[in-house]
Amino acid sequence: MKKLQTAALILLTLAGLFFCFLGSGALSRMQSSLIGFLAPISQSGHTVKSSIGSIGKDLLTLDQLETEYSRLDAENRRLRAENNGLRDLLEENNHLRQVLGYREHSSFLLVPATILSHDAGVWWNTVKVNRGTKDGISTDMPVITDRGLIGKTTTVSDNISEVLLITDENCKVAAKVEGTKEQGICAGPRIGNGDLQLTFLSKLADLQPGQKVYTAGVSGGVFPSGIALGTVKSFHPRELDGEATLEPTADLDNLEEVFIVTGGK
Amino acid sequence: MRTLFLILLLCLLPVVVVVQDFLPILPPAQERIQLLPVLFCFGALALPFIPALFFALATALIQGLILLQFQSGQAENGLAPAIVFFLCWTIALQMTGEITHGLRWELHALGSFLVTITMLGGEFLMICAKRGGLPLSIDVLTRVAVPGGASLLLAPMLYLLLKSFVPITSEGSSANNPVPYDL
Repeated sequence: MKKLQTAALILLTLAGLFFCFLGSGALSRMQSSLIGFLAPISQSGHTVKSSIGSIGKDLLTLDQLETEYSRLDAENRRLRAENNGLRDLLEENNHLRQVLGYREHSSFLLVPATILSHDAGVWWNTVKVNRGTKDGISTDMPVITDRGLIGKTTTVSDNISEVLLITDENCKVAAKVEGTKEQGICAGPRIGNGDLQLTFLSKLADLQPGQKVYTAGVSGGVFPSGIALGTVKSFHPRELDGEATLEPTADLDNLEEVFIVTGGK
Repeated sequence: MRTLFLILLLCLLPVVVVVQDFLPILPPAQERIQLLPVLFCFGALALPFIPALFFALATALIQGLILLQFQSGQAENGLAPAIVFFLCWTIALQMTGEITHGLRWELHALGSFLVTITMLGGEFLMICAKRGGLPLSIDVLTRVAVPGGASLLLAPMLYLLLKSFVPITSEGSSANNPVPYDL
């Protein structure tokens, strides 16, 4: 028995040393495999959570349902009216494009995805989505919603990908401020509070609260140009540069459906 | 039976990792509940020394890989810190278990609290060492303390749940509670 224990201890030490000295490539493959292995449990968890959420929704009172119906009916009428107006605008826009010979603005190839879970890590802001290599997803693909940028894919398995949110300190995005020539690097603070920090601006930048910030689209970078990132909340000059605090355009606390940008059309 | 218990704990590891992602976020600053340290503490206290070390290695691999971040293709932190952390805590908890003559729920709760706060504190210090700067603030303390408190409160529940699976006899009785067993 003593020999068996010694052998086990040696095996444990060797295994520990082996894992301690693994390179980044091997670690990346192991992480991807682990996420793939956990995928069925994650998807089941998401289904259970959705079911529990829908039970709560079914338990609305009649008054609440009536109010909700009235609200949706009014919104439906408003959207129809708006849609009619937009249809006219679209026709006019198409006509003008043809007349002027403009090429259609660049647009993206999007893969819709559902947020499965927010990762429990305290110091990292990541979420898991239900799309992977089988859907044509690879690492470093931008992830957006209809309101703006939310992050990029980092680890991808067959059916699940991990998305690093823009509120994470490690997700750095080249950004430009609307109506100015100011450009900077946008990332989340280390102790995330939901805001973004736009640094390396000019000390004399005249930024006003409410100004919109978009991705700058650096050549060879991950994020294409012109995706909404946030709005300026405040600006303060530092010793060497200026720093602005931004409120993300996308609601990162209530993410459900997102789109992964797999390329341009 | 005891081998089955080790297998059960190993099977629970990935489940717990996923379940903690779906747990509600705690106020005031959206702190997350950590279940992995609670399960790890139970395994480290209930298993004999060598199986406990293997369990610690498995916990370290899962926790290390889940939290691994890559910057320009390079892993920010390898698995070594997680492996060292969980192995050290296993040795400490095993020694404490010997002093208290076996697994006790109070020890498990306190251990879960300590493992959680040292794990989160260690992660923060590691990030600071890698990225530079040490922005200590009340927010940092809250983000460490609140999940620690949650672990302290959740530990007795998990203890009661797992106790039904493990052949642990009466608490505190060294005669009836020969927790360590031969491999």
